[in-house]
Amino acid sequence: MTVYETDLPGVGRKFEYEIDGEDRLVVLIHHDGKREVFRRPSPEADSEKLFELSDQQAREFGTLLEGAYFQPVDLERAQVPLGDELIEWHDVGADSPVVGKSLSDCGIRRRTGTTVLAVQRDDETVGNPEPGFELAAGDVVVALGTRAEHETLTDLLSE
Amino acid sequence: MAEVLVELGIAFTVLAIAGALAARLDQSVIPAYILAGVVVGPNPPHSLGPVDLTLVSRWQILDVGAELGVVFLLFFLGLEFSPDRLLARPTRLLGVGATDFLVNFGVGAAIAALFGFPLLTALFLASIVYISSSAVVTKSLVERGWIADPESDVILGTLVFEDLLIAVVLAVLTAVALGGGGVGAVLASVGTAAAFLLVLAAVAVYGTPYVERLLSVEADELFLLFAVGITTLVAGEALVLGVSEAVAAFFVGIAFGQTDHAERLETVVGPTRDLFAAVFFFTIGLSTDVTTFLDVGLLLVVAVVATGLSKVASGLLGGRFYGLNRRRSLRVGVGLVPRGEFSLVIASLATTAGATIPRTDELASFTVGYVLVMSVLGTVAMRYADEFTAFTGGE
Repeated sequence: MTVYETDLPGVGRKFEYEIDGEDRLVVLIHHDGKREVFRRPSPEADSEKLFELSDQQAREFGTLLEGAYFQPVDLERAQVPLGDELIEWHDVGADSPVVGKSLSDCGIRRRTGTTVLAVQRDDETVGNPEPGFELAAGDVVVALGTRAEHETLTDLLSE
Repeated sequence: MAEVLVELGIAFTVLAIAGALAARLDQSVIPAYILAGVVVGPNPPHSLGPVDLTLVSRWQILDVGAELGVVFLLFFLGLEFSPDRLLARPTRLLGVGATDFLVNFGVGAAIAALFGFPLLTALFLASIVYISSSAVVTKSLVERGWIADPESDVILGTLVFEDLLIAVVLAVLTAVALGGGGVGAVLASVGTAAAFLLVLAAVAVYGTPYVERLLSVEADELFLLFAVGITTLVAGEALVLGVSEAVAAFFVGIAFGQTDHAERLETVVGPTRDLFAAVFFFTIGLSTDVTTFLDVGLLLVVAVVATGLSKVASGLLGGRFYGLNRRRSLRVGVGLVPRGEFSLVIASLATTAGATIPRTDELASFTVGYVLVMSVLGTVAMRYADEFTAFTGGE
């Protein structure tokens, strides 16, 4: 991968990123943070503007491209390091019987076989919660287990 | 006081309307701001039917604002000027820059000789027609999308070269213009200028850590005040010593640009430049009497045609020098046609010096007319550059 960087006095900075062969993506970062993205199929062709983003939008979009929100992986291979187990996210509904109960009271580990890795509440994530941690409506339980165990957990949470 | 406030209010509102119209027409704001000044200023047109158009008098605050406009235009030139960039590929840039200078300054000097201008005025005129407008050209490059293509590197490189050269030209012309009479006085003022600028240059090169610390304040407000304060103070001191305040500001800009604060300066101080630069163009409009364009009509026509073509020619050569194809090379030439703020800065220097430079009135009228035509003509020509290439037989 080659990136060419050019200083553009009065404008900002230009980065040219080689895609394949002669095809290049040209990213223009203006001093005010605005990003313009062009594509130039060959050195002789004119750059064609693809889109324009504000500083904030570009940062968010960048993490999308980076795969920070979602990393597409081959499921078969992803399961290898965990054996037959996988990680799943379970919603705790408003009328769920576990609302207000602690993890140990629900007996999640004992009754389902899954391990609770974390509980997400609003913007917060409580990692490795204590057995006494009380579940609330709207929580998202992140658990590790086999497919069958996950199904049991889904039933338990919505029983 | 009420009168001043109302008229300033009118001035800024008219500028805003003119700028909005220019944007609507895909034109640079510079000619629009000048025309705004012409329309509401004390010179003709005086009225539009029954509506009185002499709305703004030339208040002192406008002149001070215009002066700050010059200072901050040059400050930003220095801020965006990177010595490393000039030294990165010195031979090619030097070749392109030198061609651009010799051809266009030469054509300017020839025109001045043709119209019988004395030497000093001829130097001013040649500088005025030589220098392209960084503001108009850069903005057009972004709007046309050429900024992403290789021709923009050559165009911007040439602008950087021109900017450095114009700093030298301004320093020399100021020294000569303010030095007045004899050779001794001129030499003395050139000496003072050189010494003062040498000190500034030394600070710019070796003083980076100190400047860095000076600007390290958390609040944007204090940051702005420090930047504006130091720049204005140095520019003012320069003027006291008979050195070009614009060039002094240019060096302050370079010194600031070497620090890690460069980007923050762009965003925090940028609006200050925009405000005062608008006032600068506006006051030029205020002091312009469009009826005097007729007196310099022939000179205008000759200069527009000759220097328009010479820029295209020197740019074509420069583009070829960089190994660009015909279409891109032509774009380099056409892209450098717009003239603007720096031509006006040079002309206003001539006007300030006044008595020591012969035929300044003529020079001032010419420059305003010339910038109005060239800034518009240049941007329009950029729109049709490719049609021209196709018309003359493709790439």
